[in-house]
Amino acid sequence: MEKIRLDNVSFAYSQQKSMIPVISGVDLSVAAGEFVTIIGPSGCGKSTILSLLSGLNSPSEGDILIDGEAIRGTGTERGVVFQHYSLFPWMSARKNIIFGLRQLKPRRSHKELAEITDRYLSLVGLDDVGDKYPNQLSGGMQQRVAIARAFAMDSDILLMDEPFSAVDAKNKMGLQGLLLDLWNSGPRKKTVVFITHDVDEAILLSDRIVVMSACTKGIKEIIRVNFNRPRNRSALIKTPEYAAMRHMLINLLFDDLIEEVAV
Amino acid sequence: MNTLCRAEKATDTPQKGFHTIALRLPLRLADILFISAMVLAALPGKRTMAFEYRGYLMGLLGLIELLYWLHQTMHKEPVRKKSSGDIAAVMFTGIIVWELMTSHLDLLQHLLFPVPGKVVAVFISELPVFARCLVSSLGLLGAGYLLALITAIPLALIIGWRKRLFAAVNPLTKVLGPIPPIVYIPYAIVILPTFKCASIFIIFIGAFWPIFIGTLNATFNVDRHLIDSARVLNVSEKTMLFEIILPGIMPAIISGATLGLVFSFILLTAAEMIGASSGLGWYVKYFSDFADYPRVVAGILFIGCVVTAITGCFERVERRLLSWKN
Repeated sequence: MEKIRLDNVSFAYSQQKSMIPVISGVDLSVAAGEFVTIIGPSGCGKSTILSLLSGLNSPSEGDILIDGEAIRGTGTERGVVFQHYSLFPWMSARKNIIFGLRQLKPRRSHKELAEITDRYLSLVGLDDVGDKYPNQLSGGMQQRVAIARAFAMDSDILLMDEPFSAVDAKNKMGLQGLLLDLWNSGPRKKTVVFITHDVDEAILLSDRIVVMSACTKGIKEIIRVNFNRPRNRSALIKTPEYAAMRHMLINLLFDDLIEEVAV
Repeated sequence: MNTLCRAEKATDTPQKGFHTIALRLPLRLADILFISAMVLAALPGKRTMAFEYRGYLMGLLGLIELLYWLHQTMHKEPVRKKSSGDIAAVMFTGIIVWELMTSHLDLLQHLLFPVPGKVVAVFISELPVFARCLVSSLGLLGAGYLLALITAIPLALIIGWRKRLFAAVNPLTKVLGPIPPIVYIPYAIVILPTFKCASIFIIFIGAFWPIFIGTLNATFNVDRHLIDSARVLNVSEKTMLFEIILPGIMPAIISGATLGLVFSFILLTAAEMIGASSGLGWYVKYFSDFADYPRVVAGILFIGCVVTAITGCFERVERRLLSWKN
């Protein structure tokens, strides 16, 4: 079943009377419960797609449909995790989650919301740091809190904009595992759109990988990732299929760079 | 500064050799200055009046020394210990210079420059009067300043958030903001029914602009990431203003509020000097009309103490509000 549909979506911003195009004519369909990664060189507009999906910006042309209806602005059926800044620095980790829940369920008692919060904090392995402020936590822990909030709010769609880019390699693996566990464990799978520039991350996580072209040309190629789940990182890396897919993705990403250099 | 460091160092690490007894005992620069000041106070000077009041001066010196020692025993961190020692040393030096210039060397005019002991004596005897003045001043200050806080912050939040309102109001703040509030005093006294109203209005104006302009600009330039993080949670406009932007720009609000407090204090004393019949500013003005300069100096010092106490409280509130920053 189709959950998200981008229908000929373009986005341009105005600068000194002229319109600077960022993406143009993007068509994409994401099925319910699917994990889709968007990968591409920096400046290709992948974060723009995410900001359009989240409703922070509106497309200059085309429509974004969720469950068949065009979106207008932000909505609680879409949870967003940014690379930084997802959390409010003056609220403790617990209060950040409770704040999110309160926007969703204003009528629920504080006790009820606190219970949900504690459950998700312990799911991401942060039972004992709930009362710390974000800048008392490491970057990886902050992202855990942001993920806990997104899952606690239980939105159908999860939009993630390079959430693990600023985290060190070891923590990154932990966070990827955690994300897949949470994605797999719920009563119904969330639809995830995940932005990254890390090829290995894309292969490990996704059902499909959308490769973007540099310079506003839109989607270059969509690749289906058919490795069985749950995926075992170390076993997967050794397979020739993995190497082939990695090679293909890197070629797709580098092509543009070579073209750019030639121009 | 150099000798100061050396004295500190020598006492921190007891050294062998020909160093004087003072350095081997746990005496620091502040203590040495304390002893010098006490000796100076005990010696008869050129002005006989100084000798009469030497008990008061010694009491003050003893009080500073006592506070310094208490601070030294209560705090463990070397940085804070050192800075309290330096502060005590500066205070003792100031008193020594004052005492030397007036009672011992008699370089300054008798009438205009009272001896320190006399000022201390007046300070103590005037404490009940000061207390009454303080109540009346704080009443005006509190009313004007709180009025400024509760109007400036919400107004600035709403105007800064709405781009069109901001574009309309911002030029106005550029014209009205920099007008020195003192120029409103005569007009305020004429148009408002009582002197009290006029004073509150002047204090309000003085505090309003720094708070309003600080909050307005911070709201307008608020970090987009913060707004985006809140928007994706689908917050209402009220929540955005008062639960996201307000705490998000709290550092800017506090610096505006601090500036506002300083202004309101300046304006409080200025307003009182013009038409009041009580209050701290009135006190200083009233007794300088009678050329009672010991009272004037005591009054000025008391205002200094009050301002220090108020800013001290303010800093506590600030630390509490911004505890998430560290």
